[in-house]
Amino acid sequence: MYFFLQIALSGIATGAIYGLIAVGYSLTFLTTRVLNFALGMWVMVGGMLTFSLVVQYGINPVLSLAAVLLAMTAMGVAAERVSVFPFLRAGSDVWVMSTLAVGFLFIDFAEIIWGRSPNPVPGLFGSQPVRFGALSVLPQQIAILITAAVVFVALDLFFHRTLLGKAFRAVAHSDQVSTLMGVNVRRIQAGSFAVACGLAGLAGFMVVPLTLAEPQMGTVLGLKAFAIAIIAGLAAPRGILLCGLGYGALEGLISGYLFTGIRDILGFSLMIVVLCFKPEGLFGRPQEERA
Amino acid sequence: MPRPLSGRMLPAALVAGALTAPSVVWAQDIKIGFAGALTGPAAYVGLEIKRGAEIAIDEINEHGGIKGRKLVLVARDDEHNPVKTVAQYRDLVERENVVAMIGATNSASMLAVAPIVNDTLKVPVICPTTDATAITENDAKKEGRDNYLFRVGMYGTGQANFIVDTMVKKFGYKKIGLLNWTGGWGVTGRNELLRRVKELGLTPVGDETFENSDTDMTPQLIKLRQAGAEAILNYGLVRENTFLVQTKSKLSDETPFVSAWGIAGPAFWKAAGPIAEGVLTSTTVTIDGPQSPERTAFIEKYKARYKQNFEGPVFVVGAYDAVYLYKLVMERDGTDPKAVRDGLENVPSFKGLVKAFDRPVFTHDRHNALTEDDMIMTRWTNGAMLPVMFDDKGPYVQTDAATRKYIDKKNLSLM
Repeated sequence: MYFFLQIALSGIATGAIYGLIAVGYSLTFLTTRVLNFALGMWVMVGGMLTFSLVVQYGINPVLSLAAVLLAMTAMGVAAERVSVFPFLRAGSDVWVMSTLAVGFLFIDFAEIIWGRSPNPVPGLFGSQPVRFGALSVLPQQIAILITAAVVFVALDLFFHRTLLGKAFRAVAHSDQVSTLMGVNVRRIQAGSFAVACGLAGLAGFMVVPLTLAEPQMGTVLGLKAFAIAIIAGLAAPRGILLCGLGYGALEGLISGYLFTGIRDILGFSLMIVVLCFKPEGLFGRPQEERA
Repeated sequence: MPRPLSGRMLPAALVAGALTAPSVVWAQDIKIGFAGALTGPAAYVGLEIKRGAEIAIDEINEHGGIKGRKLVLVARDDEHNPVKTVAQYRDLVERENVVAMIGATNSASMLAVAPIVNDTLKVPVICPTTDATAITENDAKKEGRDNYLFRVGMYGTGQANFIVDTMVKKFGYKKIGLLNWTGGWGVTGRNELLRRVKELGLTPVGDETFENSDTDMTPQLIKLRQAGAEAILNYGLVRENTFLVQTKSKLSDETPFVSAWGIAGPAFWKAAGPIAEGVLTSTTVTIDGPQSPERTAFIEKYKARYKQNFEGPVFVVGAYDAVYLYKLVMERDGTDPKAVRDGLENVPSFKGLVKAFDRPVFTHDRHNALTEDDMIMTRWTNGAMLPVMFDDKGPYVQTDAATRKYIDKKNLSLM
């Protein structure tokens, strides 16, 4: 029993990381049907900035977090303007490549600025494991779980309880009608991309104590988060956190009861199976394609 | 995905470029070539090899070169790509007329180059690192032809034998657990460990792996613990092994953990910090603990010249020794590549930095300078890789010249 509980718990803790990143895909998809395919690299930039601020310059972590969020959101606005909007306006799907290109630029710049060797970043709450009976978990893993939960609740409230949030959903439904209703569609489109980038910054800030700061830290995380966003349904942010946690636990159990080599094979196969039978995702509702 | 030049490596790449650019070269210069990663994730390996060779070459030139002829290093960046290594070896030998080579930075490159060196290029190659056994144990050797490949680093079979033998025979562990990286080096390493464990008549109680992306290794570690592993043997690199000790610490898992030389450098402690205390690492060179006067002088020289700490002592020291071996042979036998190759098989003793050889460095049948007996086991102790030694009371490290701290075999803590 200990075996099952401990690996499931560790898996869930890892899954919270996936979920926190995966919601970023959903944010932009909901409003513009655009995906920031480089989200993992954005997470990395958030992590590297955190390393610089907290470790290299010794700035208070809370201030550092504010700086990271601000910087990442601003970069998100800029990136949207050059790598998404021109193609969106032209009705082209080239943003698939251009968002990815931004990500590879990030990796190369990160290597120039910070080098390639992994750097440790201390966790906010130390590294002494927290124990629940025989089970143990790192304080940073708990912090990530709580952060992910808070982010999802906040997003849910935002989308359903605020006027701006309703405007986001209106744009997702039809940008033309939204324009007629007086919604500044352009600002919503840019805003959703920027918020997704800001969230990636938050994810980077939170996960870097566990993953070490280095230019490749986000690449695989971003890929797995994408698989989770697909499994849950890109249009179903509520399901993404659940799927993230479940996917993490599943990974742990596969490693524990089968073997590690088969883990990612099963994980990504699951994504394909879901796409085959429920293309809108486990939590998504079928909807008609927009014209 | 091809990457443009990485900036941290840019200065080095420019230097490499400058060295390879057509320039006025005196006819009597003796050229030694090197092709290895100077950019990319493995760049630190190539740069350390280059630094070691540069220090040796400058020392030799300051003392009048080789019989009045200047020694020159021609370095190329193969980006860790065997296809480029092969092309650059050809280019260096056929157009730059180098008379000797210093290995490469990855085993795949050396395995690709070895048959071409032996069949057509025919220049001696001394490898400071790259541990695939087949690099020196190649076709030419098997067929009794001239083998131009030499190695001053460790070979895979030897390192795995050393790790397993030390753990089983000296520490006395019988229940061995394996936990290896699924990347190329981890796979060959795992196979070698498995082979040796079986040769000693044991069966591993667990055989786990981890991927590059595993930041938490809870399932693997619990499985090994529940299987009763007394020690965990590992081939992995700095990043993943940091996650490994992080998870061990989380689970309060005190199972002794020993790794091959993938973490034998300051980068590991920098990444993992104090939770790396007690981790064992096999290596051929540690710059911590007692050092010979020559080694001390060399360490000072390196730090003064490059204004940084060692990133991979094995690579620097290996390249340094390779250049001095060439010097010794070229002064005695001339600079014809074939003569240098033959000469290397006939060096009765050599005071190297890796070790002082009081036996022939190489022989006709043995192109590995080091054997598994030359490996040392080190224990990460407060940021230093201290050599583990043994006396009647068991394994110990010397924290200073007078103090022997014995190692508790149960969890590798100091008693």
